[in-house]
Amino acid sequence: MADFYVRYYVGHKGKFGHEFLEFEFRPDGKLRYANNSNYKNDTMIRKEAFVSKRVMGELKRIIDDSEILKEDDSLWPQPDRVGRQELEIVMDGLHIAFTTSKIGSLVDVNQCNDADGLRCLYYLVQDLKCLVFSLIGLHFKIKPI
Amino acid sequence: MAETDVLEVEVDDRADFTEDTGEDGLKNLKKGVTKRKGRGFKDDQNPSLNEPYDSVEADDNSEIGPQRSVEGWILFVTNVHEEAQEDDIYDLFAEHGEIKNLQANLDRRTGFMKGYALVEYETFKEAQAARDALNDAEMLEQKISVDWAFVRASSKKSRSGRRR
Repeated sequence: MADFYVRYYVGHKGKFGHEFLEFEFRPDGKLRYANNSNYKNDTMIRKEAFVSKRVMGELKRIIDDSEILKEDDSLWPQPDRVGRQELEIVMDGLHIAFTTSKIGSLVDVNQCNDADGLRCLYYLVQDLKCLVFSLIGLHFKIKPI
Repeated sequence: MAETDVLEVEVDDRADFTEDTGEDGLKNLKKGVTKRKGRGFKDDQNPSLNEPYDSVEADDNSEIGPQRSVEGWILFVTNVHEEAQEDDIYDLFAEHGEIKNLQANLDRRTGFMKGYALVEYETFKEAQAARDALNDAEMLEQKISVDWAFVRASSKKSRSGRRR
């Protein structure tokens, strides 16, 4: 796992300040999670934990299976005022740093000229969030988001 | 992947980045790649990830081994059959102790099991017994793997981190 790194960010700057969700998996297994929402309360959640090699292996499998490394963000919607997503992965000697706008639903995806690529991101991001929320939620006994 | 899709970059410095996974290690890791792709390289902002973070403190000073979670010990199960039900996992793991929490997530595209599950026991003893007994066990004719989800910080160096 020495050459494996994943980071995801989604957020926007608006009426309630800079609201975002971000997590990263470092090569040594350090998982960091940050979530700032000013809407209902002022809390900034920042949590970190070390996950085992088994978890990193599963993360790698999920990313591999998604085939996101074959995609490219050139035709995806640019980040805008509504929001910004960033997916950064270092894996197998390749470094991707994709950015796009927030994706509300599959309707947004299907309007894109590279719908297949954006759909790949759309589902991968949901699967990654799901994994991270389970890990952080259970480890710290909190409900992420 | 077409070669024209990627930007070839000079690999000028393959430092010993596996030894140091702090900020410098990460920079070296990113520097060490042979191909880059995407629009996200211009503004390397990364706004949030350099502030102090909460973590669950270890019970002793040992630097290796599993890490306790807030309410118990969590196992990570992989290679779960895509058609498995939560009950299949529950029944198997309940034989080794009282399950406090079980999460088996679904693949968002297919709706089938994603292939992993988290199982939490209150005591280390139960979790360890389940791990020993069920690693490589069969569930729906597929061998599952069972290991700890969380481990101790591998070294003091990476634990304190280096902050920009």
